[in-house]
Amino acid sequence: MNTDLFAQLSALGSSLALLAGIALLWRRSLDSYVQAFKWQSLVLAAMFLMVGYFGRDPELYAMAVFFFLLKVIVIPRYLRRLQQRVGAERESQPYVNIATSLIISGLLVLLAYAVTRPLVAVSRLPTRGALPLAMGLIFVGLFVVVTRRKALTQVVGFLVLENGIALLAMLGTYGIPLIIELGVFLDVLMAFLAMQVFVYHIHGTFESMDVEQLNRLKH
Amino acid sequence: MAFSDINFLLLLLPSLLGALFAILVRPFRAWVGWLNAFVSLLGFAAALSFGARAVSGIEASVFGPGEFLRADGLSALLMVLVTAVATLTLFLSPGLGPETRYDPSQLRRYHIFINLFIAAMLLAVVANNVGLMWVAIEATTVFSALIIPLRLTKESVEASWKYILIGSVGIALAFAGTVLSYFDFVALSGRVENALNWPVLRATAPLLHSEVMRISFVFILVGYGTKAGIAPMHTWKPDAYGESPSSLGALMSSALFAVAMYAILRWKIVVDACVKGHFADNLLLALGMLSILIGSFSVVLVRNYKRMLAYSSVEHAGLICLGLGLGPLGVFAALLHLINHTAAKSMMFFLVRGIELKYGSPLIKDVRGMLRVMPWTGGLFAAGILALIGLPPFGLFVSEFALFRAGFAMNHPWLMGVALALLAVAFVSFISQLNRMLYGSVPEGVNSAEVDGWGRMMPLFVPLSVLVVLGLTLPTSIVALLNRIMEIVSK
Repeated sequence: MNTDLFAQLSALGSSLALLAGIALLWRRSLDSYVQAFKWQSLVLAAMFLMVGYFGRDPELYAMAVFFFLLKVIVIPRYLRRLQQRVGAERESQPYVNIATSLIISGLLVLLAYAVTRPLVAVSRLPTRGALPLAMGLIFVGLFVVVTRRKALTQVVGFLVLENGIALLAMLGTYGIPLIIELGVFLDVLMAFLAMQVFVYHIHGTFESMDVEQLNRLKH
Repeated sequence: MAFSDINFLLLLLPSLLGALFAILVRPFRAWVGWLNAFVSLLGFAAALSFGARAVSGIEASVFGPGEFLRADGLSALLMVLVTAVATLTLFLSPGLGPETRYDPSQLRRYHIFINLFIAAMLLAVVANNVGLMWVAIEATTVFSALIIPLRLTKESVEASWKYILIGSVGIALAFAGTVLSYFDFVALSGRVENALNWPVLRATAPLLHSEVMRISFVFILVGYGTKAGIAPMHTWKPDAYGESPSSLGALMSSALFAVAMYAILRWKIVVDACVKGHFADNLLLALGMLSILIGSFSVVLVRNYKRMLAYSSVEHAGLICLGLGLGPLGVFAALLHLINHTAAKSMMFFLVRGIELKYGSPLIKDVRGMLRVMPWTGGLFAAGILALIGLPPFGLFVSEFALFRAGFAMNHPWLMGVALALLAVAFVSFISQLNRMLYGSVPEGVNSAEVDGWGRMMPLFVPLSVLVVLGLTLPTSIVALLNRIMEIVSK
């Protein structure tokens, strides 16, 4: 009974997280990108609590708190501030249009199911059913990074990719050892802060955030 | 405190102290740079001592709570490479002599991040836990990316953005691979705190599920391969090498590249123990061939000499991948090649700095008559290019020869034939590019004088003599160390 509920909740949470990831593909304003990322992170933080409860691992409660602070409070706030400083440029013309993006993301999720088949077969955890969704989120995050043209939306794509990996670790192993997880948090934060510096630089030197203009380096 | 504990501290502290000095002393002063450089010699000595311990038969030294640091023969080799290039870099860094290109705040920033960058690379090679290794390698991306736009130009901003984005995304995939291995471990024997410690992982590997480890290795190879600049994940490399300050270019092309290859080799050992057949080998061979192909043909088209060195890095990354995929003999050759490549590339990037200052242009077409303008720089540069294309009497000739012999011994004659043909393409195009730079009429306004005094030139003879010595003979100490590593690889 409890295991059933656990399995259903993890599948539900992962689906929501994946949906928030795919939402990036049809929304255009930077604001909605930040919103989608924030909601996704909130879902993931709640899932840490849930997995901690059902999996009887109090370490995950601590993880949930860190995750919440970093990805629901700190990073979205920085993203907002960044957006105010550089102006609200819209992701008006991604390299791939919305309809095609959505079809491709569907294919990516299918691919994720194919790739994770051995994982699902090997695992005995009740959360195993949701593993393909986590892999799907990783692929969708990658797709967002590759197809967006604004520096800031690429950053959000990277953060979504990171969320996908966190979800994979949570579902597959109930969280990797805490000490490593903390190191990962630190790295994500540093990478994010460095990227933020570069977004300012790009804006300052090119007077736009369109990475389309980053085409001076050839041969 | 045991001897090895002190050794670990000596290895890691100099760069951390260097960063601390640079943070505390503001504005930047030249003596901070000099102190930093001399203190870094301690790290080099510690690395050599780890190498000596490995040669004398000590399997591994460990340190700290949960044995979070561990140094075996393979780590020792990487430590020696990283600390050697780091020391050279710190002695030749901007800010030690009269410097006009950077202001004190830029120099301070440079010294903070270059030291953190070095510390992260050293942590990556002594981390016992492969998760911690990942954390350290990811940190190298951030620290090095922050140095690329030391002077803000459109080009440097573009290069650093591509570098940090591609690097961070790539390395995130390596983490997904790490998670998948841990997942497999957990599915097998429950959650164990030290499951990601390399010896534990290696010992458990034969029991892990090969289907999961295959997926895991693909992620890891793509991830760390991005850091190493293996094609087709190499696209950041020419931009980043072309736009970064030369001393950072030297560290990235030699030390950081070696660290990324080290991470791949560590995982390959685990995967080989689990997956039967030549799964990892074949992947490495395929990516290796692609890198050699892209590297060689790009040199034909290249217009900028720093980017030319970057494409040469792609080509050599391919050769080393090829070696790693060719059985024990191949791994031996690949590691030897790694040592040689480190020596050659670190020398080249410091020479390039002088050329850039003298001609004021990064383009090959603007550099003419280098032998007449700067005979020493030009001569060393020519020697470096000849070494990189694999001519005797330089070390890369020996290691490439060993590599191809391993390939023929492993019954890959066609593959080796194609690789040799591609190396011939690289050979011809490098020679013609070099010709253009060395000879011809000197452009107007360029006076004939070396940019660097003897103080800056002399250190560059160290990597050159390493190349010549390794080309003429194989010192017993290096063979002994490589043999220790072969025991780790094929245990």
